[in-house]
Amino acid sequence: MKPYLAQIRSNLRLMKRDRAVLFFSYLFPLTFFFLFAQLFGGAKDPAGMAHVLSMVIVIGILGNGFFGAGMRTVQDREANVLRRFKVAPISSLPLLVAGLVAGVVSFLPTTIVFFLIAGFVYHMPLPHNLWAVLLFICFAVVAFRTLGNIVAAVVNSASEAQILIQILYLPMLFLSGATFPVAIMPIWVQVAAGFLPATYLYGGMNSMLITGASLWTNWTGIAAFVLTTVVGIFIASKLFRWEKEEKIAGRAKAWVLVVLLPFLVLGVYQGKTRQNIQNQKILTHLENRGRSILFNNVRIFVGDGNVVQSGAVLMRNGKIDQVFQQPPADPKSLKAEIYDESGRTLMPGLIDMHVHIGAPGGIYKDASKYSDPQAGVQRLAAYLYCGITAVRSTGDWLDSSLKLRSEVRSGQEFGAELFTYGPLFTAPGGHPTEMLQNIPQQYRTQAEKQFVRLPNTPQEARQQVNLLKTAGVDGIKAVLESGSPGWGKFNHLAPDIYRAVISQATARGLPTATHTGNSADVDEAVAAGTNTIEHGSRSDQISGATLTAMKQKAIAFDPTLSVYEAIAALSAGDLDLLNRSLVQRVVPTGLLRDTRAALSQEKNHARTDAMRPMLDRLNENLLRAYKAGVPLITGSDAGNILVFHGPTIQHELALWVRAGIPPAVALQAATLNAAKYLRADDRIGSIRNGRDATFLLLDGDPVQDITATERISDIFYKGEQVQRYKLLQQEQ
Amino acid sequence: MTDSPAIVVKDLHKSYGDFEAVRGIDLEVASGEVFGLLGPNGAGKTTTVEILEGLRPRSSGTVSVLGFDPALQSRQVKDRVGICLQATNLPDKIKVIEALQLFGAFYSHSADPDKLLGILQLSDKREAFYKSLSGGQKQRVALALALVNEPKLLFLDEPTTGLDPQVRHEIHRVLQELKENKRSILMTTHYIEEAERLCDRVAIIDAGKIIELGTPREIQQRVMGHSLLEITADRAIPEARLPERLRDQKHSLRDEDRTIAMQTDSPAATIVELVKWIDQEKLTLLDIQLKRPTLEDVFIELTGKKLRE
Repeated sequence: MKPYLAQIRSNLRLMKRDRAVLFFSYLFPLTFFFLFAQLFGGAKDPAGMAHVLSMVIVIGILGNGFFGAGMRTVQDREANVLRRFKVAPISSLPLLVAGLVAGVVSFLPTTIVFFLIAGFVYHMPLPHNLWAVLLFICFAVVAFRTLGNIVAAVVNSASEAQILIQILYLPMLFLSGATFPVAIMPIWVQVAAGFLPATYLYGGMNSMLITGASLWTNWTGIAAFVLTTVVGIFIASKLFRWEKEEKIAGRAKAWVLVVLLPFLVLGVYQGKTRQNIQNQKILTHLENRGRSILFNNVRIFVGDGNVVQSGAVLMRNGKIDQVFQQPPADPKSLKAEIYDESGRTLMPGLIDMHVHIGAPGGIYKDASKYSDPQAGVQRLAAYLYCGITAVRSTGDWLDSSLKLRSEVRSGQEFGAELFTYGPLFTAPGGHPTEMLQNIPQQYRTQAEKQFVRLPNTPQEARQQVNLLKTAGVDGIKAVLESGSPGWGKFNHLAPDIYRAVISQATARGLPTATHTGNSADVDEAVAAGTNTIEHGSRSDQISGATLTAMKQKAIAFDPTLSVYEAIAALSAGDLDLLNRSLVQRVVPTGLLRDTRAALSQEKNHARTDAMRPMLDRLNENLLRAYKAGVPLITGSDAGNILVFHGPTIQHELALWVRAGIPPAVALQAATLNAAKYLRADDRIGSIRNGRDATFLLLDGDPVQDITATERISDIFYKGEQVQRYKLLQQEQ
Repeated sequence: MTDSPAIVVKDLHKSYGDFEAVRGIDLEVASGEVFGLLGPNGAGKTTTVEILEGLRPRSSGTVSVLGFDPALQSRQVKDRVGICLQATNLPDKIKVIEALQLFGAFYSHSADPDKLLGILQLSDKREAFYKSLSGGQKQRVALALALVNEPKLLFLDEPTTGLDPQVRHEIHRVLQELKENKRSILMTTHYIEEAERLCDRVAIIDAGKIIELGTPREIQQRVMGHSLLEITADRAIPEARLPERLRDQKHSLRDEDRTIAMQTDSPAATIVELVKWIDQEKLTLLDIQLKRPTLEDVFIELTGKKLRE
């Protein structure tokens, strides 16, 4: 033990006195620290600072390992220093181990200095997992110093060491993410980066500092560090040479690969799963959420109907930090970027409460396009592009919609937040089972299992609700529909089964949405205590008593005027809905082209006349509900033909205003009300302190002119400024 | 204990592939003895010493260093001996005292570093960085490090090579002191004066074998049993008139016959006789020189090579 301690103490002393060590493990990273801090917005962006910290710590560890340990050993050998140690009664092990320990002990103060500067100069709070971060750094320092030792063990001269070190050091410096964001690089570079130890170091640091990830989350990287260290110490001690005259064969350089083996394995694994690349994407989004911005001189539509004509909103750490009723007197003191938003309105992101994310909204010529696995992501991106920041799926394939939800929620894919109710409860032969009839027999069973629930008894209904709850749906959708002239005829869900669905869902804490076709369906749904009425009645008037009951029970009405308008337009042969500018921008051109081609050929004038009274009735039901004080929410039923995923709510709002609903009421339905019925109003739907910084900046005032909702100048999503042009090209 | 020899080597062989560097060496270094290994480069000196130090395995033969076999017990040997290799260095920024403390920690027994600094006259350099030391000071630090475990046996590999004469003199003084302290020393050297001055016995190695072994004087006697007497007169020396006994000794004349050089086994008697004769011849004696053969002369005689080639 004595030789180890003495050697560690001596190493530490010498490091302290060695300019190269000071340069590579302190000054060099420190310079980068300030440089990056300025580049990445410094004080105004705590997540950016976390990023900067990761970068400089990686740079420091690389220098510490390759130059501090590797080059040092070679120089000591060249200068006949090791020769002196050779005659002492010690093996190479105390020298190697002491080097590792001293490396860690000398590097930790650097780290602490970085955290302190980040804290005092740039206002970044100390990470709550600081000990885990420091421990992670220790693992990494030891592993990288071991790599340095291996380099020293296999080279014959300082110049050979220089070459080998550069071969290892430069790719790690530039491809790990420590200097350039990995996400901007071509995919093959990202895959190649998966073979570099520094990638796991940088990724680990980033995840721990930005998402507060634990050591356990980074266990693969840590395991690789430990393996490399253990194998590396063993090999370095076996190959250790005390004198420059002792030469080693060139093929010994293969030992470097042996030591890097854990990372080669990880690289292959990552190349296959692309998990790291996904994580990197997620982290990039998380980083982007850290900016602090003051939106000054802005009109604020709060979401609850209130409007602040000229105030300010401060965004910090992805949240709305403060809402000012007047522009703050001293905006600079807030330590935030200042955006002057005069003439603009800041309002919560719009919410579509009724979509079918698995359906395209149009017609594809090529049937295989219907099952495009990327379509869901593209549609959520299209929503976000249009300022619709959350959507509720009221009827979709269970597995694919849950997967899509988690992909977007994790940040792996970027798009509107998805709330999914999964499959629809309906009767055998009930709506929408007719849609399954077109599917070839061999897939139909599977499709049925995914898309609908057809309980035969109340007991079975309850079980199915329980299973969906376990699967993780956000709510339950049931269908009450008998059909009507021109719509076909459907089996209606038995009342006891329907009541079982609603009561079981309610008991399990799941909100419910009920599709209704006529007023009797609405009566039944209201009586059963569903949470939202979808569509209402297209064939008759909803009674005053029912509306009163809805108000009393706080059952929301989601009239989905868009889908009826689309059906009417379709039957009139009117394809104007294809020409809306936002639709043109966000819907895949192939889908628009195919749909236009398919629909131009058919016209169903017979139904055209039947449509006008229906539309009037729907408008009237909405107006009556509004006047009765029923809570209103906005849904479009997108996915149905001519209702494309994209600017749905803008159009729905326009239809509402045309029907006579005041814009402010309509806007509240699309924001705070919708958020309430998603049970997410503590996070979204209003501009209040502590809510997610998910909002739109519109040119003009939507309360005066509802079409202002289409004139989006900026979108912020959980604090991240949405790069709209990038959204539509995010898929490779 | 004091009687048992510090080093015993019997029939030591060492081959590197086909090349036989050491071809059967026998030697014994007594306790308290200073033993010198002389030989040209490539003679096998360093190989032999490194085998004794436990740094290199041998091919065959038996070796005992302080009672241990360095091939099997290299740790024990290293722990007990002091080794001063040629051309070793220390990190630039280590202080002299720190180096002594560091190396002291490697041994099971270590001397008081300040006492060592005193012995080696380095006390005023105690806090100096290694880099700032002169060549002689660095060599004294190397010696101090070799003494850090208070070894009974010291290996010194060319302790003064590359140092200027004055520094060499300083080191010799230190070694002289060590010698007086009854430490056993095995040293290799290129410098004949060094060996003559410091060594109790020397072995001359050539081509992996010991070709001569004994005290410097013994070797001289054995190899070149004569001295050279040179006498210079003011005029030419009449060689033809030399007495018979003197004329029979090997001699030569130069400087227009004014100087006569004569080999003799009995220098004292020859001087008396020669001076008497010069006086009889009425010549004036200008200079007398008696030259003993040096180890260098012996070495050249034995190996046909100069030591420092």
